[in-house]
Amino acid sequence: MAPIHMPSALSFELIAKCSVTKARAANLRLPHGEVPLPIFMPVATQASLKGLTPEQLEDTGCRLCLNNTYHLGLKPGQTTLDAIGGAHKLQSWPYNILTERSFQMVSLLKLSKVTEEGVRFLSPHDGSPMLLTPEHSISLQNSIGSDIIMQLDDVIATTSPDHARIEEAMKRSVRWLDRCIAAHKKPEIQNLFCIIQGGLDLELRRQCCAEMVARDTPGIAIGGLSGGEAKDAYCKVVDTCTGLLPEKKPRYVMGVGYPEDLVVSIALGADMFDCVWPTRTARFGNAITSSGTLNLRHSSYASDFSPVEEGCPCVCCRPPEQGGLGITRAYIYHVAAKETAGAHLLSMHNVHYLLTLMKSARTAIVEDRYPAFVKGFFAKLYPERSKYPEWAVTALKGVGVDLLVN
Amino acid sequence: MADNLTLGLSQLPDEMLTFTLLKASEGLTPRLGKLAFPGRSTIQTPHYIGNASRGVIPHLSQDLFRKHTNIDAIYVPLEDFVEKAPQHTPPVYELDLPDAESPLRRFIALKQDAFLIMGARRTPPIAAPAANTNGAISILTSVGFRHLASSDYVAAAQKLRPDIVVGLGDIVYKQQAKPSNKRVAKMADRTEAWTKDIVDGKSGLDKTTRDGPRYSIFASVLPISSELQSSYVDELADELRDQLSGLAIYDPSSLTDLPQALTPLPRLSFSEPSSPRQLLHELSLGTDLLTIPFINAATDAGIALDFIFPPANASSSTRRPLGVDMWSSTHATDLSPLSSGCGCYACKRHHRAYLQHLLAAKEMLGWTLLQVHNHAVMDQFFAGVRASIGKDKFEEDRVAFEAVYEAELPERTGQGPRQVCVIVNGVRGYQFKSEGPGEAKKNASAYRMLDERKELLAEASTPSSGTDAKDLENIGFAEVVERQ
Ligand SMILES: [Zn+2]
Ligand SMILES: [Zn+2]
Repeated sequence: MAPIHMPSALSFELIAKCSVTKARAANLRLPHGEVPLPIFMPVATQASLKGLTPEQLEDTGCRLCLNNTYHLGLKPGQTTLDAIGGAHKLQSWPYNILTERSFQMVSLLKLSKVTEEGVRFLSPHDGSPMLLTPEHSISLQNSIGSDIIMQLDDVIATTSPDHARIEEAMKRSVRWLDRCIAAHKKPEIQNLFCIIQGGLDLELRRQCCAEMVARDTPGIAIGGLSGGEAKDAYCKVVDTCTGLLPEKKPRYVMGVGYPEDLVVSIALGADMFDCVWPTRTARFGNAITSSGTLNLRHSSYASDFSPVEEGCPCVCCRPPEQGGLGITRAYIYHVAAKETAGAHLLSMHNVHYLLTLMKSARTAIVEDRYPAFVKGFFAKLYPERSKYPEWAVTALKGVGVDLLVN
Repeated sequence: MADNLTLGLSQLPDEMLTFTLLKASEGLTPRLGKLAFPGRSTIQTPHYIGNASRGVIPHLSQDLFRKHTNIDAIYVPLEDFVEKAPQHTPPVYELDLPDAESPLRRFIALKQDAFLIMGARRTPPIAAPAANTNGAISILTSVGFRHLASSDYVAAAQKLRPDIVVGLGDIVYKQQAKPSNKRVAKMADRTEAWTKDIVDGKSGLDKTTRDGPRYSIFASVLPISSELQSSYVDELADELRDQLSGLAIYDPSSLTDLPQALTPLPRLSFSEPSSPRQLLHELSLGTDLLTIPFINAATDAGIALDFIFPPANASSSTRRPLGVDMWSSTHATDLSPLSSGCGCYACKRHHRAYLQHLLAAKEMLGWTLLQVHNHAVMDQFFAGVRASIGKDKFEEDRVAFEAVYEAELPERTGQGPRQVCVIVNGVRGYQFKSEGPGEAKKNASAYRMLDERKELLAEASTPSSGTDAKDLENIGFAEVVERQ
């Protein structure tokens, strides 16, 4: 089909490229302000980031967070969102919002069935058949008013053995993209991102990239990953897709949040990431640090009066002498899973950690020392090189960084 | 040095807690005062004290506490910190700090200028099945019931250095059966002995620190008639008087017939008033400081407190509710603040529609914002009370308040965070603990492979949680299709 030129409500300014890997640094200007790329976006599923106030989220440095279309569609619902004036107003968040597509949750319901029209599912409540279409999804996101909206796609588990179904899903996602573009009422203030599908089949991914790039959406997401596939396969898909995507558009890998995944994915040319893990894991007392994830509910931390992470400048860790709270691991142990505030403190730290990691990565790219940054990151995370995950070593070798050589 | 000796204490005069009565009359009447201590914000009384759970006001992380509340004093129960004692030293005791800094304050990240008041038990306490003994009271930690010896309590006060220690009392709480005569006879004797322990602990038994423990003591007055504890109370007024900085009361009626010598002392009440009306009654008798469990209870119930003192003139014949049930769907698109005229963070930045959404979505932030608002309402309430007492209009205003507002807080209609903690978080909030010891530990294993879908599914409700297909269609989520 002939390329369509979509209006865009963003500007993408590439400011640096790593001379070794495919890593890039950019400025992404969105309707609610500019954000630096690469970026990690915390997930405020239901218009709230697990107990943190929008102000606390702002204080972690976040300027772009996620809401989930599906959840907001259920609560408070489209009519209410229209009456209130969208999700920014609902949560008094003056910065950017990206809405995660609504389909994913429905597709996970046992009785869902995808047809060309949309997703059919039985209402688990009264058994009546329901239909969710690309047009519904866009209409709902138009009501939410998010700065970045996602197309409705046909997602198949990457681990599915049914090749024909994966191919069908990829092709249907392309057709649904056309319907989403046609249904999108506010392209001048909301940026529609397409979602590349095709499972782990690199040929299907290539075809999907070609078709979707031709549609010229303001940004591009690589979807269908983070579903339990092997990390090697994940890296191959990301690497293949970024190789085919236009340089001047943001690339968003959906559902990625482990620090090592982010660092490797950036090297493979991805710019944007989101994940519920950092805040969800905080509720179970898990602190993300540069030397790994610590479960502060373990009794070995009961009398550990060091900060969650030494030298961390977040509100929680910063010592009182420097205007912080000086929260210790022992105190998190004391309140974890007993007081909601314990989860709030750790969420602030975890989100801050990932945002700071992205900031350091960006600085390293700008200063053209990303390979050294990656090596330093892994050296800190794993005490011995023999413990480095093989997938990471392989993936990074593919973009010119040998983790096992100084 | 000689000066210190003549004072009989290792404290210098400028390190002392002072309470100044600004206005008080004979008998049980409302009064005005101010509580001051070097380095702490001066508290105008009457006022409330923040009621902490494990060192934190429920739902308010320490940064929010500093930024968005005006709470200048918190009550911290020792039973929240001594799980493994006496077999293992409680962690907070191992926090070694230079000088006279309070390890407890540092541990819970309490701001420097807030008063730290330590007692033995939470308020309201969970009644323990085991009786107190001559040397120890029964407490409940997060791992179960056990005894806390008076000597251990003294050691805790010395080590943890709160500003104020509430002396142990052999209290029979409201929730418990009335004490037998035999028990009553023992209560005063025990409490007297324990009060002497904490007094002795203060006057220099601890020679290890340069300036000695510097806590101030509020002695417990038992919730029984004054005849039944007359010899103890006389002892407080006489022998122990110089060592006391205040009184802790559990029933306002125990202020009746207190010896004159105890009148200048600030009175901290743990009587658990269930409503503003009961609270006003208590203030009318001359209570200076209180913990107010109904603030947390209203927050957990999803109720935004909505009253002022003195009340605006009664304009209708029906009494006004004392709070707004934020669960009600009538707020769904209401962009107005929780209560008009409130200047708190929740009211300034957010609106009723968001609060209603957060509660319906069982998002923790709902309770956080309510907590900010409800404490702000109490700040205003107490400011109004003090102004009213100052103008000698308290009784009049109190009568007007009772005429304008309902007697009790609104009934709860929605789920509290207790259920949400269980269902959504998979963990229980300690602040809702009531079942006692031996509960199973909930544990989430760390995820090996990140599975975004599983995480998302675990995140919140799926359509199975009671949603009607027509509802889904009505809210524009999807459409109902004809059955084939
Ligand atoms: Zn930190
Ligand atoms: Zn307010």
